[in-house]
Amino acid sequence: MRRAALRKGVLLGALAGGVGGLVFGAAMSQLGILPTIASLVHARSAEIGFLVHMVIAAIVGGVFGALVWQQRIGVGETLFWGLTYGTLWWFLGPLTLLPLLLGAPLVWSVGAAQAAFPSLLGHLLYGASTALALVVLRRDRRPQTGTLYGPVLRGALAGLTASWVLHLILKTQGQTLAFMAIMSVGSHPAGRLGVLAGGLLAGVGFALLYPRPTDSIGPGLVRGMMYGFLWWVAGRLTLMPVIEGHGLAWALASVREHFSTFPGYLLFGVGMALVYRWLTMLVKLLFSDEIDVRNGEGMGTRGLRAMGRGAFAGLVGGLIFTVVMVQMGVLPIVARLIGSSSTLTGFVVHLVIADLIGASYGLLFARQSYDFGSAVGWGVSYGFLWWILGPLTLMPILLGAAPKWTTDVAAGLFPSLVGHLAYGAGLGATFHVLEARYNPWWIPHTQREAARAARRKEHVLTSAPALWALVVVIALTLPIVLTCGDQGLSSTGSSMDGGGSSDVTLSTRSTSRRQSGAVTDRDPGCGPRVGPGP
Amino acid sequence: MKIIVSPLSRRDLIAGATSGLIGGLVLSSVVQLRGTTTALAGLVGWESWGINLGLQLPSLILVGAAFGAIFGYHPESTAFHVSGGLLFGLLWWILGPLTLMRLWRGHLPAWSLHEASDAFPSLVGYLVYGAVMGISFYALVSVWARRYPEESSGLAVPTSPAKRVVVLGGGFGGVSAAQHMEHLLAGNREIEVTLVSQGNYLLFTPLLASVASSGLEPQHISAPLRAALVRTDVRRAEVERIDTRAQVAWIRASPSALAVALPYDHLILALGSVPAYFGLPGVKAHSCTLKTLEDATRLRDHVIALLERADAESDVNVRRGQLTFVVVGGGFAGTETIAELFDLVHSILRYYPHVQESELRFILAHSGGRILPELSPALAEYALHKLRARDIETLLDTRVMGATSAGVVLNDGRAIATHTLVWAAGNEPHPLVQKLPCEHNRVGAVVCDSTLLVKGLTNVWAVGDCAQIPDLYQGGEPCPPTAQHALRQGMKVAENVVAALKGKPAEPFRFRAIGTLVGLGHRTAVAEIRGWKFSGLLAWFIWRTVYLSKLPGLEKKLRVILDWTIDLFFPRDIALTAGLARPASSQISGVAHEANKPQENRMGDGSRGRVL
Repeated sequence: MRRAALRKGVLLGALAGGVGGLVFGAAMSQLGILPTIASLVHARSAEIGFLVHMVIAAIVGGVFGALVWQQRIGVGETLFWGLTYGTLWWFLGPLTLLPLLLGAPLVWSVGAAQAAFPSLLGHLLYGASTALALVVLRRDRRPQTGTLYGPVLRGALAGLTASWVLHLILKTQGQTLAFMAIMSVGSHPAGRLGVLAGGLLAGVGFALLYPRPTDSIGPGLVRGMMYGFLWWVAGRLTLMPVIEGHGLAWALASVREHFSTFPGYLLFGVGMALVYRWLTMLVKLLFSDEIDVRNGEGMGTRGLRAMGRGAFAGLVGGLIFTVVMVQMGVLPIVARLIGSSSTLTGFVVHLVIADLIGASYGLLFARQSYDFGSAVGWGVSYGFLWWILGPLTLMPILLGAAPKWTTDVAAGLFPSLVGHLAYGAGLGATFHVLEARYNPWWIPHTQREAARAARRKEHVLTSAPALWALVVVIALTLPIVLTCGDQGLSSTGSSMDGGGSSDVTLSTRSTSRRQSGAVTDRDPGCGPRVGPGP
Repeated sequence: MKIIVSPLSRRDLIAGATSGLIGGLVLSSVVQLRGTTTALAGLVGWESWGINLGLQLPSLILVGAAFGAIFGYHPESTAFHVSGGLLFGLLWWILGPLTLMRLWRGHLPAWSLHEASDAFPSLVGYLVYGAVMGISFYALVSVWARRYPEESSGLAVPTSPAKRVVVLGGGFGGVSAAQHMEHLLAGNREIEVTLVSQGNYLLFTPLLASVASSGLEPQHISAPLRAALVRTDVRRAEVERIDTRAQVAWIRASPSALAVALPYDHLILALGSVPAYFGLPGVKAHSCTLKTLEDATRLRDHVIALLERADAESDVNVRRGQLTFVVVGGGFAGTETIAELFDLVHSILRYYPHVQESELRFILAHSGGRILPELSPALAEYALHKLRARDIETLLDTRVMGATSAGVVLNDGRAIATHTLVWAAGNEPHPLVQKLPCEHNRVGAVVCDSTLLVKGLTNVWAVGDCAQIPDLYQGGEPCPPTAQHALRQGMKVAENVVAALKGKPAEPFRFRAIGTLVGLGHRTAVAEIRGWKFSGLLAWFIWRTVYLSKLPGLEKKLRVILDWTIDLFFPRDIALTAGLARPASSQISGVAHEANKPQENRMGDGSRGRVL
C-alpha cells in the first residue's frame, strides 16, 4: 500500500518535474546555458543539452514527488516545498554535482555562486512549476468546503489595500521607484493603476493558495513574505522584462539593479497577508457558527499572556542581538530615534524595540511551535521580516531619510541581518520555553487535547518547515551573492556570452585563495559599512 | 531538576549523531574528491586536512545529535527532515564559521558581508551537510521504528499514570500547590495531580467582607478552579474518609453518588478550618459565619431583609432586635465584618424612611484586652479609636455565653436583643484532619515538620490552616493562619512532593510574613508591612492595591476595579434575591431562622461537619 503510493508519487513527481523542466529549459535556452549541460555527456549542442536537462529534471522531479508525497495536498502547501526544493538543487546541482561530473574542482566560492546566479532563479521557477504541476497531476484534492467567492474577494481587497498603502508610504518618501510596477511609467496615473492591478492579481492568487487558512496570523505573514518573493522572481525578474521586450532579467547585473524592488515585494506580501488574515478573522468572528470560535480563552486572557511571554522572549533575543549591535557600533544611531546619541540610550531604545517586537511575536505566533525546531523556524523567519521592515525601511524613515533599498545599503546591513536572525532564534526558542513551561499542550492530557495536538502536528505536513528553510536560505544567499564583489560580475558576463564551460574557467581562476582584502578595496559594497546612513 | 532521557529522545540523539557523522563523511569525501583548498578551508577553517578531520568529526556528530534532539522524528513527513536539516545547517553556519571559528582564531566576529563572503564556501558546505544529515536521520529512525514499533508510539494518551498526587482542598494552599506542581511537572506524563474541592472556585477570602456589604459582586472574588488549573484533574466532591494505611482518599461527588476511591502516592492536606463554637449553647444554631461566598451573600440579604422588616415594624422592642448587629471576635475577620456591616447599613439607610439612625446599634464583642491582637498595639488602638468614633460599641474582655433566637447572653450577664449574630471568634481545623492517626496540636491541627510532612504519617503533607507548621524565622513558633502563608506553603509543598517523587531530599519551608492589612470600611484601613505602619486613607489605598494585585486573574481584577469604581458613583444595590426574595414565615427572629431555610438544601457543607 505504502510502496504503491510511493511509486505513484515518484511517477507523478517525474512527470511534474518534466513540466518544470520545460519552463526552466525555455529560460535556459534564452540564457544559453544548455551547451554546458550537454557537456555532461561530452556533447556541445543545445538540443542534446536540452534532452539531458529534461532527463535530469524528470529524475529530480521524481525525488521531489517521493519527498512530498506524504505532505498535505494543496497548491498553497506544495508550492513552498517546491521553492525550497529548487533552491536546494541549485546548491546541489550547479554548485556541486555539475563541477564534480565535469571533472572540475569544487569551489563553492561567491564567485562561482554569482556565475551560477541566473540558474538559481531558474531553479526557483523550476521548483514552483514542478510543485504546481504535481498538485494538478495528483488531483485527489481535499473536498472544498464552501465557495471560493469569499476568499477571492477578501484576497482582492487585501491585495488592493496592501499595494495602495505601500504605494502611498513610498510616495511620501519620494521612493515610488522602489515599488513593483513602477517600471518605466514612474508616478504616472497609469503606473498607479499598474500597481493596483498587480496588487489585485497577487491578492487573488494568495487567496486561491490559502482559501481557508488554518494556522494563526504569524505563519500567514511568513507565507505572505515568501509569496511576495515568488512574485519578485516570477514577476519582476521574469515576466515583466519579457513583456517589456528586454528578455529575462536574470543576469547578476540586472538582478542587482532590481534588488531595490526586492524589499518592496516582500513587504507587500506581508501587508497583503496581514490584511487578508484580518479580513478572514473578521468574517469568521461575525458570521461563522463554528464552535471553535467560542471555545477559546478569550483575547484578554490568552492575548495578554502571549504578549507578556513574547516581551520577555524579545528581551532575551534583544540581548543576543546587542552583541552584534556593539560590534557594528550602531547603538548611537539607534539612540537617534529619540534624539539622543549615547550608547547607553541606544541600548535602552534597542531593548525596548526588541521587547515590542517580541510582544507582537507572542501575539502572532502563540501556540505555533511544538518543539525547538519549529520555534526557531518561525523565530528566524520573523527576524528576517524585521530586517526588511526595520533597518532597511522604518529606521531611515524615522530618522527622516528616504529608505534606500540598494545593494550597497543591504551589504552594509549584513551584520544586522545576522543579528536579526540570531534575535529571531533567541526570541522563538525562549518563547517556546515559556509556553511549554506553562502548559505543554502538545503532550496530550485528555482525549480532547490529544485531538488538538494531532491537529497541530499536522503543521509538519503543511509548508511551514519548507518556509523556514526557504526564508533563511534566501536571507543569507541573496545579500551575499548579489552585493558582494565585482569578481562575480565579470565571470557572469563570460558565462552569459560564452556559455560553454564557464564554471570550469571560473573555478580554476578562483582556485587560489581569494584575497578578500583586495576585493573590499575594489568594491565598497563588500566592505564593512556602519548603519543605514541618513 | 534531573534530566530524564526517554527512550524516544535517546533514539533521536543516537540517530542524530550517526546522521551527523554520515553527513560529515559524505561532505568530506565530496570535498576530498575534487575539492579545492578554497572549499576545504572554507568548510571549517583549517588548512590541513588531518587536523580538520580530527576536530571536525566530533563537532559534526554533536551538531547531528543536537539536530535529532531539537527537530525530532516525524514519521508522517519525509520532506520535513530535509528542510529541517537545511535550516539547521544554515543556522550552524552563522554560529560556526561566522562566529565561533573567528573567536577560535582570535578575531572578534563582525558578521560583515566581507566575512560572510569569505565563508561562503562553508555556507554551501553546511547546507549540503544539513540536507544529507536530515534525510539520513529520517532513514535511520524509520528503520529503527520498524524494528521496535512499540517504542515509537507517538501521541497515545497514557492509560494509567505512574504516580498520583492528590490535593484535598481548593483554598489558597491547595490551589497554589496544584498550580505550582503544574509548572514543575510541565511535560511530564508520568505524574497525575488530582485536586478535590467542595466548591469549583478559589475564593479570595480577604475581600469576603466587601461582598457581605454589597460592595462587590459575589462572583468577582472567585476564580474558577478549572480555568486556573489546566492540567490538574479537578474533582468537585466531598472528602469522606482518608485511609492513610492503604493510601486511599474516599470522595463523594454528591450525597446520592457512590463514594469513589482516590489512591495516592502523595497526599496534600489543605482542608482549612471550620468555625469553632466551643460548645456554647445556641450559638451554632443562631449565628452565621463569614467563610464562604454563600455566607457573605446570605449575610447581606439578611441585613437588607431586616431593614425591610424594621421599616414596617411598629413594635419598638422587635425593632431594637432587628436593628442591632452583633459580631463576636475582634480579629481580622470580625473587625472587617463589623466595619463593612456599618458601611452597608448606613449607605442604604435612606431607602428606609421609618428607620432612624439613632436606633441602629453595632456591637463588636471581643474576649481579649484589645482588638486585632495580630497587629502592633498602636495600630490596634487606632482601629479601636476609629470604630468607637463611628459609634460602634466595642466590648473588650467580653465573652458570649450563649445565644437564643432573641439575642445573645454575655459573660457579665447582660443580654443583648439582636437578630444578627456573626460568629468570628474562633476556628478549628477541619474535622477530617482531627481524626487522622497522627500527632495533633491543642486545637486538633496536624503537626508538620519544617518540610511540611505530617509527623507520624508517610507520604502525607499538609499546608494552611489545618496544619501546625513551624515558622523558622520565629524560632519554630507555629505559622499564623493567613493566606500569604498558605500560598507559600502550597508552593513549597509542591516542590517537596516533586522532589520526593524524584528521590530527592525535601527542603524546609521558610517565609517571612510580608505584612498585615485590615480594612476598616469607609476609606480607612490599618496596615503593617515589614514593620512599617500605615493607617487611614494611605493604608486603605495600600489595602485595595495589594488585594487587587493578589486577585487571581486579570479578568477578576478588571471586574473588581469596575465594581469599586461604580461604588464610588452609585448607591449600593439592595435587591433581594434567592431565599429571601419574598417574606417568609420563618422570618421571625434570629439570623439562623432568617437564613437557615435554604441551608437545608445546600450541598457540600462539610465545613459544618455534617458529612461526618
